[in-house]
Amino acid sequence: MWKFSLRRILIMIPQLFVLSVLLFVLAKMMPGDALSGMIDPNVDPERIEELRNQLGFYDPWHVQYASWVGDLLKGDLGTSFRFKMPVTELMGQRIVNSFWLSLATLILTYLIAIPLGITSGRFNDTLRDQLITGYSYVGFATPLFIFALVMLWLFGFHLQWFPTSGSVAPGSVPGTFEYVMSKLYHLLLPALSMALISTYSTIQYLRNEIVDTKQKDFILMARSKGASESRVYNRHIFRNSLLPIAAFFGYEITLLIGGSIFIENIFGYPGMGQLLLESISQRDYSVVVGTTLLFGIASILGALLSDIILSIIDPRIRIK
Amino acid sequence: MSKKFKWLFALMLAMLLVLAACNNESADKPKDEPSENTEDPAEKDDEKEDEEEPANEDGLFSIEDFVMTKTNEGEAIEGGELTYGVVASSAFAGTLNYNFYSDAYDYEFIAWFDEPLFDSDVNYAYTNDGAAEYEVSEDGLTFTLTIKDGVNWHDGEPVTAADWAFAYEVIGHPDYVGIRYGSDFENVVGMKEYHAGEADTISGIEIVDEKTLKITHETTGPSMLAGGIWPYALPKHLLGETPVAEMPESKWVRETPIGMGPYKVESIVPGESVTYVKNEDYWRGEPKLDKVTAKIIGPSTVINALETGEVDMVDSFPTDQFVDAADMSNVEWLGMVDAAYTYIGFKLGKWDADKGENVLDPDAKMADVNLRKAMWHAVDNDAVGERFYNGFRWSGTTLLIPFFENFHDSTIETPTYDPEEAKRILDEAGYEDKDGDGFRETPEGEELVINFASMEGGDTAEPLANYYIQAWGEVGIKVQLLDGRLQEFNTFYDRVEGDDPDIDIYQGAWGTGTDVNPAGIHGLTSFANYTRYASEELEKLHIDGNSEAAFDLEYRKQVYSDWQQHMVDNIPMFPTLYRSVLVGVNNRVINYSMDPASDLRRYDIAVTQEEPVVE
Repeated sequence: MWKFSLRRILIMIPQLFVLSVLLFVLAKMMPGDALSGMIDPNVDPERIEELRNQLGFYDPWHVQYASWVGDLLKGDLGTSFRFKMPVTELMGQRIVNSFWLSLATLILTYLIAIPLGITSGRFNDTLRDQLITGYSYVGFATPLFIFALVMLWLFGFHLQWFPTSGSVAPGSVPGTFEYVMSKLYHLLLPALSMALISTYSTIQYLRNEIVDTKQKDFILMARSKGASESRVYNRHIFRNSLLPIAAFFGYEITLLIGGSIFIENIFGYPGMGQLLLESISQRDYSVVVGTTLLFGIASILGALLSDIILSIIDPRIRIK
Repeated sequence: MSKKFKWLFALMLAMLLVLAACNNESADKPKDEPSENTEDPAEKDDEKEDEEEPANEDGLFSIEDFVMTKTNEGEAIEGGELTYGVVASSAFAGTLNYNFYSDAYDYEFIAWFDEPLFDSDVNYAYTNDGAAEYEVSEDGLTFTLTIKDGVNWHDGEPVTAADWAFAYEVIGHPDYVGIRYGSDFENVVGMKEYHAGEADTISGIEIVDEKTLKITHETTGPSMLAGGIWPYALPKHLLGETPVAEMPESKWVRETPIGMGPYKVESIVPGESVTYVKNEDYWRGEPKLDKVTAKIIGPSTVINALETGEVDMVDSFPTDQFVDAADMSNVEWLGMVDAAYTYIGFKLGKWDADKGENVLDPDAKMADVNLRKAMWHAVDNDAVGERFYNGFRWSGTTLLIPFFENFHDSTIETPTYDPEEAKRILDEAGYEDKDGDGFRETPEGEELVINFASMEGGDTAEPLANYYIQAWGEVGIKVQLLDGRLQEFNTFYDRVEGDDPDIDIYQGAWGTGTDVNPAGIHGLTSFANYTRYASEELEKLHIDGNSEAAFDLEYRKQVYSDWQQHMVDNIPMFPTLYRSVLVGVNNRVINYSMDPASDLRRYDIAVTQEEPVVE
């Protein structure tokens, strides 16, 4: 397994290099730049030209790339033009938000989906199964932005159970217990909105796998040995059915830092998705390249992680 | 089972269709009736129609029906807290200093804790009622600025002349990365040398004593009092040691910003919110509120936030949602003409980078003023305003918008919607349909196809562009969208700024700022003059309008009236829509006004009860 992991990691180096060149060149190829359309009667057009020169926008791309990579190796992703602060710091602020939100979503999704998936698989083709399957299909078909708006209206504005915008109450002091609780309180509703309708794949994978597994010979064997029904399900079937979910888990980790543009916009929750989209539309190059590079690295790592998890759970993969 | 399932399947499909059809409505629903508690829906509908008073039967509104000052009902309570919503679908950048910010939302957060040293009047010109006074020398070039006693930074240090000069030194510094530096600064004697790094000090700025600053300029005019003098100070005792390039990311800008305004920053949640507490030491007097929270509110939830009192007021309410919000009883709506307009511009020349001038191209496709005039006649902008904007935008006339009450000349006759007149003008000018394809050819007999660049964005962008193309088609002018599609924002500006030869006409918009002087976007040497139109007469008007003589209001009015007439006669661009800005204010908030003539200032804002009024 170590050999396998090492090989995967070595392959990542050229992957990352190509990724960085591609991202950088593509970002620079976008028409316009961070200063496009900024001219108004209060801003001198000559100043804009001066700034373009000052910021090096007119240098050839390989010169810009070289200086960017040079800084990158020092751990410096440059300065955001819009936010006027280092990109690493900016992403640091946003990733924390996205990470906790996605983690809460992930936990809630599993909390909802795994019991439902098991029930649905264990009692397949009963009314219970049909209800659960029906729910997961409806969730699959529901557009996130509409569902989130409805949730926000119902629980946020109508019942006023949850705060309706932001990631933390204004005025909270970081580091205090109130701050953490306020963060948690603020991310519950968006996380729940996302979790409720993203259970589809987990439920269905789990259900199918259980239905599949329970017809296998070793289950018959377990039963004939006299194992109780709950033991059969909890010890024998469940563990074997987790395979596809575990395979997914690595990718889910990637999504943890990606954020969701819909949720972030509706709940006014500043995360990575919003940051990426905004920086693209405003041509804030250093942020665009920084975030996409991070996403790229995360996907590569996520795939690696998935493989490793799989090889832990399923020894057959290791042997190959 | 199979038969049963088929039926079930068909039923589900049918339900799916029904659901899909409902989608549009359900997306709007939360906005529509958020706090509908127990009322009968039918009753609610009736009420709605009764209450929508500013609108006529067609759901149309007019900005003239809105007041600019909040009605004061009830007595202000001692203290109280207020929540201020900044409507934005993105986080604010957090560069919280007038000297460094470039994000419009940042401004809304800065304005609570810092302020310009000058107050301004109804024409947005500086007065002596603010934290500083000015005196002009005989030749109009030297301004002596005196900061009043008792004007202190939030840390108790007095605001000094050195702080004011410091702002000039930082913005003019070669390392300054911000958009504020420009011709206004270069107008200060010695600034160019300082900016180029040839001088260590700015020779035109003299610190007379702790509170007095003397600035000498190269040229002068009324624009000096509308932004020509930089009215913001920068605390030198805090930022003096920080290298200029690092200032925007320093903690005095991002984490614990300091100003001289009525409220002090208490804490900042990056990108989301800022809380403020009262600055008891404020030079105008003690502010009324104990605490203010300003936070970002998404445009999709702003109605709910106002209705439930989550925010007491917003910086600017999206006018396209007003139809759904008009019947809110806990909120009073204020409105005024916005400092912006939409226009159609005609590409008439090129930017000559060597000379730094706009040069007319006599062979440009749009060079004939009759063609341009006919195109103005051909479009019905009032209908556009009604159909697309519920009347919150309306047909523009001259290029000095009614926002500048004193300078907008409503007596000037401008082309109005009249397709017959458009056809007549075209016929007379020789644009006739010779090959019978339904579109006119040029007088020389060549095919005339005009490329129209328009920006994407919002639901209305596409139908609006299509309407214009159709309206021009109806008078026989063939117009097509550039590349057959709308242009993305950055691409659009890239191509318009770069004088892309494929663009003949374009639809753009300008925010005017508060300085009426139009030279910045129409001048001979202005790169932002995207139509590239320039003429000697126009240039003379620009110079006259900002000359010493123009300190006389009547003279200046006349110059700008001539200017508007000149632009209507020559039509390098025509304003399609004037716009309005709306603000919703909770009933408990008093002493608030968006009227430039009002004496109410931010520190006056108070509330009449502890909790917001909810519907």
